[in-house]
Amino acid sequence: MTLVLVLAAHVLAVLAMPIVLVGLVNRTKSWWAGRRGPKVSQSFWDLLRLLRKQPVFSAVTTPLFRAGAWAVLASSLLAAQIAPIFGALAPLQFSHDFIVFGYVLGLGRIFLMLSAMDVGSSFEGMGTAREASFTAFIEPALFLLVGTAALGSGQTSFAGAIGLFQGSAAYPWLVVPAVLVLFVLLQAEAARVPVDDPLTHLELTMIHEVMVLDHSGPDLAAMQYAAAVKLTMYAGLIAALLNPVDTMADPVRGVAVSVLLMAAVAVAVGCVESLVARLRMRLVPRYLVLATVLAAGSLGVAGWIAGGGA
Amino acid sequence: MNSLLAAQALLLAGAAVSLLPMRNGWRAAAGLASQAIAMLLVLGVALPVVFGAAPLQGEQAWAHPVGTLKVRLDALGAFFLAWSLPMTLLGSVYAVGYLRRYFGSERHVGVHYALLNMTALSFVLVYTGDHALVFLLGWEIAALAAWLLVIWDYPNQKVRFAGFNYLVSTHIGLIFLVSAFMILYTHSGSWELESFGRWLRDNPGAERNLVFLLLLTSCGLKSAFFPFHSWLPRAHAAAPAHVSALMSGVIHKAGLYALVRFVLLIGRPDEWMGWFLIGFSLLSAVIGALYTAGQRDLKRLLGYSSTENVGIAGLGFGVGCLGLAWGNATLTGVGFAGGLLHVLNHAFFKCQLFYAAGSVYQATHTVDIEKLGGLARLMPWTALAFVLGGVAISALPPLNGFTSEFLIYSGLFTGQAVPAWAKVALAGTAAGLAFVGAVSALSITRAFGVVFLGVPRDASIETPQEVCRWMLAPTMLHAAGVVVLGVAPVLGLAMVEGAASLALADLPAGAAMDIHQPLRELSATLARIGAISAALALAIALLWWLRSRLGGGPAPQHVTWGCGYTAPNSRMQYTGSSFSWDFSQRFRGLIVLLRRQHAPEGYFPKDAYLISDCVDAVERRLFAVIKHGDESATDLSRRLKEDDPRLAFAAALVAVVLISGLIVLAGGPLK
Repeated sequence: MTLVLVLAAHVLAVLAMPIVLVGLVNRTKSWWAGRRGPKVSQSFWDLLRLLRKQPVFSAVTTPLFRAGAWAVLASSLLAAQIAPIFGALAPLQFSHDFIVFGYVLGLGRIFLMLSAMDVGSSFEGMGTAREASFTAFIEPALFLLVGTAALGSGQTSFAGAIGLFQGSAAYPWLVVPAVLVLFVLLQAEAARVPVDDPLTHLELTMIHEVMVLDHSGPDLAAMQYAAAVKLTMYAGLIAALLNPVDTMADPVRGVAVSVLLMAAVAVAVGCVESLVARLRMRLVPRYLVLATVLAAGSLGVAGWIAGGGA
Repeated sequence: MNSLLAAQALLLAGAAVSLLPMRNGWRAAAGLASQAIAMLLVLGVALPVVFGAAPLQGEQAWAHPVGTLKVRLDALGAFFLAWSLPMTLLGSVYAVGYLRRYFGSERHVGVHYALLNMTALSFVLVYTGDHALVFLLGWEIAALAAWLLVIWDYPNQKVRFAGFNYLVSTHIGLIFLVSAFMILYTHSGSWELESFGRWLRDNPGAERNLVFLLLLTSCGLKSAFFPFHSWLPRAHAAAPAHVSALMSGVIHKAGLYALVRFVLLIGRPDEWMGWFLIGFSLLSAVIGALYTAGQRDLKRLLGYSSTENVGIAGLGFGVGCLGLAWGNATLTGVGFAGGLLHVLNHAFFKCQLFYAAGSVYQATHTVDIEKLGGLARLMPWTALAFVLGGVAISALPPLNGFTSEFLIYSGLFTGQAVPAWAKVALAGTAAGLAFVGAVSALSITRAFGVVFLGVPRDASIETPQEVCRWMLAPTMLHAAGVVVLGVAPVLGLAMVEGAASLALADLPAGAAMDIHQPLRELSATLARIGAISAALALAIALLWWLRSRLGGGPAPQHVTWGCGYTAPNSRMQYTGSSFSWDFSQRFRGLIVLLRRQHAPEGYFPKDAYLISDCVDAVERRLFAVIKHGDESATDLSRRLKEDDPRLAFAAALVAVVLISGLIVLAGGPLK
């Protein structure tokens, strides 16, 4: 029964938290800028407004363009059911499910990139090329990180590896690098500063936003919501890594602590965005590779500790 | 056994008939009909073996020095036959459409069909031969037939060069294979693979290691592993599309077959063999993927992705080898099943992609992606086939490429009790595989996005039309296979189960009480993956349908947003090289990028150009080494003054020392 309730909370959080987290990020940014800022629920009303609008399509698009946004949304939502945000459990959990997680997100990404290429614009092509190549630099980090957690906890499922990592001998050594790697993954996947700036209004400097330039109405809403779901997912992974409460033993406290941790991550994202400028484009791959190297180092340390080195 | 012989006779007869003087259409029909019947005959005996029937054996007395010819069809060979022959037939059907222009001409199309028949024959020989000479005969027939098929357009000098390049490489591979066989023959005194296996099992040591390396090199040359791939980009670009498809998807899988066959013969490989195979395969996968990112020629791009994908399959076999070495049933099962399933999946999507590329070539007479654009609206079926193949080759769900990579990943992230350092190394390999996946998504987005999406870039290319049904039917059949194997991966697993159990049977008794247990677990996992894939595909389709239903009438259309610029033209679209340049130039140490440019100058600039391309580093290096060696030899002989008598005395002294040393060495270990 508890399990069912926690899983229901998971699904609910995956659907509702994107709105809250984006609101918190924006609220934090306005606080740093000395403004009061929009309501936390503002992005919900923005999405509702977009859903009511009639879209305009570029004349060169193919049916693929119309499917693009919805495929991105569907795959993000599916991936979010595998990501353990409340500790050692997730609605979809089986051995090596993190591979499905990574590749379902990959499917969403390829749809995003192909629908950007579909309009035949040089700006969107530029964004697609950046998205594709930056992904190649950061993609190994996720697998190295899960490998580290799996080695430490002896589990092969995503939820088991992340949620039970706390009990392993390597945890005190590796919790900081693991959180840092996840934070960089969040910035890369959810298109946040310093990798990408969702608010920039110069087409030459954008990645994610430039790819959705020609999306409008409900399709744009789906794209924006999907990006927010990814933000939630990675914030949830950080929360699961840090959450000291066993959610199965004490579901109310576990869920509450996780939600608060996710909110804290959103505030951290907002602070970084307020205090740091977006990196120059050619430095972004170095930043991402740094995260991958950090993850590889963590894996090495986890192996050393598991091998009885410590 | 008789149906195998009958199939071989039929293929030969079909080849002979298609050479007869009659209309080209009849020649093709003779080839196709004989191939179809032979395929049915072979499948009739091979499919039961794939799904668990006892292996077939037969022998035929032959003159000295060959001795008794032994034929044996076990689950591994039957698995390869079960898809190689149907796919060759589909390729021959595609050829009808691809070569249709020649059917009414003077050109003898029958030769082409005879060669396709010989290719099918070579599969029957290689995959059933239990005698080294039968194996070599099949291997050689496949090589020669492939060479002749590649040079279909022989008046073109580039095509001839590509053909000879291939011929030389494949024969260098043959030399390695023959040397390995000679070593095995001297020890076992028999040409039978089974007796090779007996010697290999019982004699670990330096000589077995040497045989393993020789075989790996030969298979590497056949299947185009890095750095033995240099023939591949040229051959794939030069050959007709169906020949490229068959070479990449089907013919060169014989190299992987030989690899798995000899690993099974070794029985319990050393641990270093598994690690070596993993390292070698990862290198192929990474470098092959990096090369796909920069190619201008669509077929060269697909060729490099073969190097990448044999590497991925090799990773699976490497994991399987480690499993055998450690006596671990789960790793053995997942490694071999994953590797073999990837071989099957790759055959499906790679042929499909080559067929789509061939359709593009037929319609536009070019495969240079910088000249193409916007084909999706003119050739919707070809575009659909390409994008399905592309999603599959990037190993993304819900298509088949994902299922086999999932198995290989789950072998790399094993939960089995293996040493911690091994887990670290395997997880690091998995991270490399993740990089490969991301790069292949990049290349496919680039290739599909530039060629099929947007608007046409070059006005000199006539408006293309969808190709004929002879070409579309095989392409779409492959596409259907890609989808079915993606949402029902259990079907694919059922095909490789028999072959994987052969590996499990090599484990020492006790390590696997029930050898089918690991495979049953895999089957359950894959059923779950298939269900998730199907749900995902349905969800996307449903959302798309709802969206188009609830859209409320046709949406208004407008030009693409050009950031306020109101006179965009098709040349301003992002090009293939601008797409990949930034990425590729970060790997300049591994790949060679060429860039020639003449920037516009002055107030009235004329004649500005920019040419960029990505060429093969191994090939360039090869010629550079030859040149360097030649120069240094010339230099040495100039400096040594060869007519100096002192030199002759010194050389003779060295020779005497060397020879006596060799005699002493040879005498040593024998006593």
